[in-house]
Amino acid sequence: MRYVGALIRKECVEDIFSSRGAVLYLVGCGILSVFSFLLVSNTELSLLDNAQAVYMMAGIVVGLAVLIAVIRGSDGFAGERERETLETLLTAPVGALNAAMAKLAGIVFSWFIIFFLSIPYLWTVGSTGQNLWPAFAYLFLAGTLLVVTFGGFTLALSARIKTVKGVLSIGLLLFLVSGSPIVMGPSLRQSAIGRFMDAINPFGVALNMLDSVVVDSQGILIQILPLSVLLCYAGAVLLFLHLAIRRMEL
Amino acid sequence: MKRHILLSIAFLTIFSCMLFVPAMNGRAEVPSVQVTIEPPPGALTMGDKAVFQGTVRNAGRQNLQGLVVYLSLVSLEPGHEHPMDLEDWSAQKAIRIERLAPGETSARDWSMRLIRSGRYGVALTVIDPRESRPMVSALIPFTVLPKPAIASGRIVPVAIGEPLILLFLFGLFSGLHNRRRQTRDRKRVRP
Repeated sequence: MRYVGALIRKECVEDIFSSRGAVLYLVGCGILSVFSFLLVSNTELSLLDNAQAVYMMAGIVVGLAVLIAVIRGSDGFAGERERETLETLLTAPVGALNAAMAKLAGIVFSWFIIFFLSIPYLWTVGSTGQNLWPAFAYLFLAGTLLVVTFGGFTLALSARIKTVKGVLSIGLLLFLVSGSPIVMGPSLRQSAIGRFMDAINPFGVALNMLDSVVVDSQGILIQILPLSVLLCYAGAVLLFLHLAIRRMEL
Repeated sequence: MKRHILLSIAFLTIFSCMLFVPAMNGRAEVPSVQVTIEPPPGALTMGDKAVFQGTVRNAGRQNLQGLVVYLSLVSLEPGHEHPMDLEDWSAQKAIRIERLAPGETSARDWSMRLIRSGRYGVALTVIDPRESRPMVSALIPFTVLPKPAIASGRIVPVAIGEPLILLFLFGLFSGLHNRRRQTRDRKRVRP
């Protein structure tokens, strides 16, 4: 257990002290800053309702979190394999499954940092409006489940696919397809295909849930179904990760 | 004398006919559909969800079927008069009334999120597929009071300050980490 704790600590702290982590978080902060400036300087955006602005910013935060989860998950085992350190990791007294859990914990920790960094931005945009605290709570819940889903999925792929490039390509493609609700906009999502995509796509489910909570002020009873869908995805991905780790090759 | 009486009778007949014609025309133009829309009470402020009450009444003697009712919103700001996109205002655009019996009234709430301040007008239009002209309610003017939605005074310090603080903290942590590692390495090298 001591070794597992040390591995989790290493995975979590690695990003803070490494230049890769610093660049990722700085880029994330930069994107949120640019969007905040857009809200102030653009006359159309500056007239938006607070709740609408919070919802849009929460969507960007979730997008950033998933992107970072995909990048970190792709590097998980495939990166260790390319750096020729996977053998050392697997022979350590922690076991492959614990190593995977430690890597997933590192990815979730990255999400916690992004969430923490996004709090001042969300507060400045939404403190004079409605539903800011529910927005924080649901953003945290939805973001954690999405990060576990996407990070766990790419981590599982990295246990099976040999190169980081290969995993990253699949992960980014998946991110683009599932992030399409942001690109499509509300009118296209009203079509039959758009609704179907929204119903099965975890990203769309999370965005609809945030929209429902922040903009439409709907209660927790309405959110049980989307939360269950996100939980199912996270559970299925953890199962997939477990299976992929069992068949991992050097 | 007889001629004068006949002329007078003819004049009076024509005059009375002229008096009746507009009244007859007016009766013929009584619409079979009556449509009204009422604004919500009290002042409206940006960000509010305003609910307008619309009613459609069948004032005719026949059943009306397949009526289409839709909302129109226009900006009445002097020099900027233009129709507004209802999707931006989260408003329902149109409904269909399947059947409306004589004397029956269909009442419905039309809600919209007030996303901008200014002077606006709202109206309901009813289209009866059997009539050549749509029926439009009176235009209801209303004013949306401004509200400071996004305070630029708070956003700018955060948008500039947070990346700078983050950069400083990363530099500090990284420096401390490297220094600690160098000290540890030096201790290991010493015999």
